[in-house]
Amino acid sequence: MTFLERTTDARRYRAWEGNMEADYIYTSGLAGQRFFVALRDEGRLLAARCTACGLDYLPPRIFCEECFAELTEFVPVPPEGQVASLTVAHQDRTGALASPPQVWAFVTFKGVRGGLLHRLLATPDAARPGMRVHIRVRPREARTGTIADIEGFEPARSTK
Amino acid sequence: MRVGIIGVGLTAFRPSTPEYSWKELMFEAASRAYADAGVDPRADVGSFVTCAEDYYEGFGIFDEFVPDQLGAALRPTCTVSGDGLQGLANAFMQIQTGLIEVAVVEAHSKISDVLTPIGIIEHGLDPIWNKPLGFHPYVVAGLEAAAYLRATHTPTKALDAVVSKTRRNALRNPIAAYGAAVDMDHVAASEARFEPLRSLDISGPADGAVVLVLASDRAARRLHANPVWIRGVGWASDSPSLETRDWAGATYARLAAGMAYRLAKVRRPSSEIDVAEVDDRFSYKELQHLEALGLAKSGEAGKAALRGAYAADGRLPVNISGGSLGCGNVFEATGLHRAAEVALQLRGDAGSRQIDGAKVGVAQAWRFVPSATGAVAVLGAGP
Ligand SMILES: [Zn+2]
Repeated sequence: MTFLERTTDARRYRAWEGNMEADYIYTSGLAGQRFFVALRDEGRLLAARCTACGLDYLPPRIFCEECFAELTEFVPVPPEGQVASLTVAHQDRTGALASPPQVWAFVTFKGVRGGLLHRLLATPDAARPGMRVHIRVRPREARTGTIADIEGFEPARSTK
Repeated sequence: MRVGIIGVGLTAFRPSTPEYSWKELMFEAASRAYADAGVDPRADVGSFVTCAEDYYEGFGIFDEFVPDQLGAALRPTCTVSGDGLQGLANAFMQIQTGLIEVAVVEAHSKISDVLTPIGIIEHGLDPIWNKPLGFHPYVVAGLEAAAYLRATHTPTKALDAVVSKTRRNALRNPIAAYGAAVDMDHVAASEARFEPLRSLDISGPADGAVVLVLASDRAARRLHANPVWIRGVGWASDSPSLETRDWAGATYARLAAGMAYRLAKVRRPSSEIDVAEVDDRFSYKELQHLEALGLAKSGEAGKAALRGAYAADGRLPVNISGGSLGCGNVFEATGLHRAAEVALQLRGDAGSRQIDGAKVGVAQAWRFVPSATGAVAVLGAGP
């Protein structure tokens, strides 16, 4: 197998190094505020309900994708979800080797449009699509009202 | 009014291009396209459409940096923040208005200038719900590949066939950066990355520029051109949120193809299309996109790939260019490159990879992870 590895490092040639420095805060909005406060204070997930379409959206938002209605009602998400898809990542967010590998899952909840993407707190061997899971939240004092208040999904007790 | 492609200009696609600036890459592709079309950009071209994203360029307000290297100074220019195929659709419509007779579409990649390309792709993740988790953006592709393979009962072996076929195709394409005689066993044995994807399932980065010259039928006649007709264009986006989109079926590509086929009056794509160039920046995408484009039934593309149906001598030659797996990932130029390849095939100018008798071809683009946006163009041979 030749020609598989190529140099992509242009820094070895004449060039000017620079960057585009930019810092932000990302406001979570009305629906995000409701969700993250409930997550921080009560350790539970909320969805936004469209009564016209009969859809509960996770992540919650204040507009319905289907009918464009404004959504004002928030409802609890069932505690137990199901792994819809998973991947074992052998690289971390920078591209460096992840050791041990990370397991990431997209989890859906019965009767809910959407779901959540997060770590799956299981070894690659034990992780499989279709498995039942629930969120593990950080201890109350460690929560700040962000998605990181969730440590990940862990296998539901009933299937342990 | 008919609109045709009358000029094709491509640079070589290379893993790095240290001797050229990105502007010089554009200049080279444009010079080739104008020579191919027989047009003088200072006299004959009415509009210039470039396709770029500031973050990939490394500076703000990209469109202000355009005119000179395209011969477009003091002329109408605009930038589409999307794949080159979306720019092609824009230029097509500009000509359809009757306001413009000849339009130029450009897209490029100078990704070797970007020291942190993964970081830029990561910026495409939702900054509140997804990015804070700190995963490599290709995790999205791993999750989607797993969902697609499972939903369609496609064996991983089918991905081995895609990679082997496509990278071998690239050996016949002089501009390809990653052509190689890869066997299915090599693919299966390559390092696990974002399971089920392995290192050879993922296209490598490349620099390159693509320029197409489009003209109305009247202008094409006046310029004594030999056009390939743009019979239909379409574009669409699925739900932008990772959580509410379709993980298995590439809905964006199905909707974009539906729009393009309506315009092109293509009713049975699987029997009417002779060549297809679809986005394969991850191997499973080739299969998923073929199904979304109606070129294979759902769940059938993988089996067909294993039978060799998409090889140069198969039922439907797919990614004869070498695709992105074999040519390299040229980011926003990816879809425009595929339109250029289909145009060359329909003109009979595809060299040693020419598919005999190709009359109708389709090119499809996707805006890469984590997007769910795509575009499609249906091209037809002259006269
Ligand atoms: Zn609704």
